[in-house]
Amino acid sequence: MYFNSFDFLIFLPVTFSLYWFLDKRKIVLQNILLLAASYIFYGWWDWRFLSLIALSTVVDYVVGLKIYKANSQKHKKRWLLCSVFFNLGLLAFFKYCNFFIDLWIELCNAIGIRNGNFTLLRIILPVGISFYTFQTMSYTIDVYREKLKPTKDFIAFAAFVSFFPQLVAGPIERATHLLPQFLNKRSFSQGSISLGFKLIIIGFFLKLVIADRAAIYVNAVYNNVEQHDGLSFIFATILFAFQIYGDFAGYSLIAIGTAKFFGFDLMTNFRRPYFAASIHEFWNRWHISLSTWFRDYLYIPLGGNRVGKFRWFFNLFVTFLISGLWHGANWTFVLWGAINGCYLIIEVLLNSKKRKGILNIVCTFCLICFSWIFFRANTVSEAFLIIKKIFLQPGKLYIGMGDDIAAPFYAVLAIFVLIGFEIWREYIGSVKQITEKTEISRMLAYSLLVFLILYIGVFGDSQFIYFQF
Amino acid sequence: MSKYQIILFKIVKLLIIIVIVDMTLGIAAQKLFYTQKTGKYARSTYAIDKTDAEILVFGSSHAHRHYVPEVLENKLHSSVYNAGAEGQQLLYHLGLQKMILKRIKPKTIILNIDEDFLFQSNIAYDRLHDLYPYYVTHKDVLRPIFAVNNRFVDIKMLFKSYLFNSTIIHMTRYYVSPQIDHKGYRPLHGTVNKNYKDLNPYSVDQKNTIDNNLVLALEEFILNAKSNNIQLVFVTSPKLIKTNYQNNKSFHLINQMANAQNIPVLNFFNDDRFINNFELFHDPSHLNDKGASYFTELVSDKILLLKK
Repeated sequence: MYFNSFDFLIFLPVTFSLYWFLDKRKIVLQNILLLAASYIFYGWWDWRFLSLIALSTVVDYVVGLKIYKANSQKHKKRWLLCSVFFNLGLLAFFKYCNFFIDLWIELCNAIGIRNGNFTLLRIILPVGISFYTFQTMSYTIDVYREKLKPTKDFIAFAAFVSFFPQLVAGPIERATHLLPQFLNKRSFSQGSISLGFKLIIIGFFLKLVIADRAAIYVNAVYNNVEQHDGLSFIFATILFAFQIYGDFAGYSLIAIGTAKFFGFDLMTNFRRPYFAASIHEFWNRWHISLSTWFRDYLYIPLGGNRVGKFRWFFNLFVTFLISGLWHGANWTFVLWGAINGCYLIIEVLLNSKKRKGILNIVCTFCLICFSWIFFRANTVSEAFLIIKKIFLQPGKLYIGMGDDIAAPFYAVLAIFVLIGFEIWREYIGSVKQITEKTEISRMLAYSLLVFLILYIGVFGDSQFIYFQF
Repeated sequence: MSKYQIILFKIVKLLIIIVIVDMTLGIAAQKLFYTQKTGKYARSTYAIDKTDAEILVFGSSHAHRHYVPEVLENKLHSSVYNAGAEGQQLLYHLGLQKMILKRIKPKTIILNIDEDFLFQSNIAYDRLHDLYPYYVTHKDVLRPIFAVNNRFVDIKMLFKSYLFNSTIIHMTRYYVSPQIDHKGYRPLHGTVNKNYKDLNPYSVDQKNTIDNNLVLALEEFILNAKSNNIQLVFVTSPKLIKTNYQNNKSFHLINQMANAQNIPVLNFFNDDRFINNFELFHDPSHLNDKGASYFTELVSDKILLLKK
């Protein structure tokens, strides 16, 4: 089920009403309801893959308890490896199998040996697999590190793994933060629910008005590389920067807002990333739940920055390379990760991590846009062709045909609204200050946003980009 | 009041404000919509609300760009309006036809057939939103069409802002730069580059499958004309390149349906007068003004023959 579907518009109030109806009874009933709702939410897309979530839940639940009970470090480590291999195995099979088979075939062809009749498999990528496997892995790793006691409450644990607001595209929650919320009583808070409403409305604005509008132009240009010139690619890349931000930050806000309806607090995933004045700062503001996951479970265990300079750079580079691969089994993502790793190393070398000022913000934005070319391009060769066109063949700016002509106008208009709103939040005040004066003015402001969504949003049941990861 | 009643009360209050904002701004959007003088919405509004033409042309860009009303009028001595709409397919044409027939009964309807009309295509459904603004006044005929693959049409259409979704830029654009048409027809200018390389016969992908909803839409289109005693003529527009339609399931089915209902099909595919005639085409699939005038004359002559 997609957040931007009418099914969800019915599903949410029904689940919400039943959930708070059970408030006076027991937490366990609420958790059972959340578990059932989450499985319905996921099964709406493809019920077959519910078995993967269930399996992942059982394995990590058992492993968590086994680690805790193990009496030696060696045994604890064995159990941890079970969980890591199981989760990474799921990811490897469903997400990277064909990528590595393809790599093997190309390698064999390149050195002129028979490839042993390897053929690509017909595998469907289960939605959200990268998110929930990382979330459950963080549980077993934290239990191993003794940051967290494993829970014996299977229902609460299963509801934590499959919690529908963040199941398919994050934020990737830490067990230390989210799991205790399933174990304790949630309180029905008026403030929390109205904040949830606001976040959901802003999230839909980002998704339907900015991301989906921008997508029309971006797809028209990026899917026809041969036919377009450099200027069109510059414009499309800038639009893509906002498309992916609107898409993913929009999803995160809807997820956080929906969780608030049920009394849960999810972590912030984006903090106005395009106001970053350095690449380092950008990664502290962009997809925070994933960046911190890689920091805590990969970068720091590799030694982080408390090692020699060469090893430090290696750690940075490897972390971003793997982060790129996490996004998709395609060389474009690997290169995107590598570019960002290189940016960070150069920044360290230039000692420019703590830059400030508008010029640095613009420079950072340009560098990030450059890396987005690899993220969005369909193939690596197309990415290089696009870069070549940008620098050597500026040509004419494509403004769309037929109905598509209006799409970039709406997108640019909405982007200006977003930038204005974010400037306010970054430098002046919070959302509350904008709308806190009276209840009516607050409601009017959000009603206007709803109007804009309905008036200029795109309603085509489009998917969220991050579903494919 | 309990905490639950308070939040319920607030939700109801928010919904009421949303409805009021939607109604107020939606009415403004509606007023603006109907003040348009040129552009695609102005043309469809004119066809629905004003035209009293005796001959109406329906179809996609091939209808809109290929039929010159003045040529038809001179030859057939009847008033003509070109209600063709760029990028639109059968469901749209059916909706437009039903709205027009509520008000007038033309003598003849020309439906320009695209050979892939009956193949599954998301565009056929997605672009129906061009008819949403007319839902308020023509719900009876439009609702069944919108509901074909839209389960929540009744809820969505409650919002006025949704009905006029995406219309504002078009309105602004045509206020700033009016899009002149000649009784619905907009000519294309220029010719195809003679070095155009791809002159192999064009054929449709055999993997395409027939969409039953579109078959039903065409049946209804025919039925509407028949039940109103309107002469219906199917025409296929010429192309610069030869068209291999022997294995085109969609085109064959359209022909079968036409034959069963005694509807004449004027087939200009692979017409020697147009094949490789670069001077008559704006692009390989669309005639320029000169080509459109010539083609309209040929169509008029054939319709005259049909009447004899």
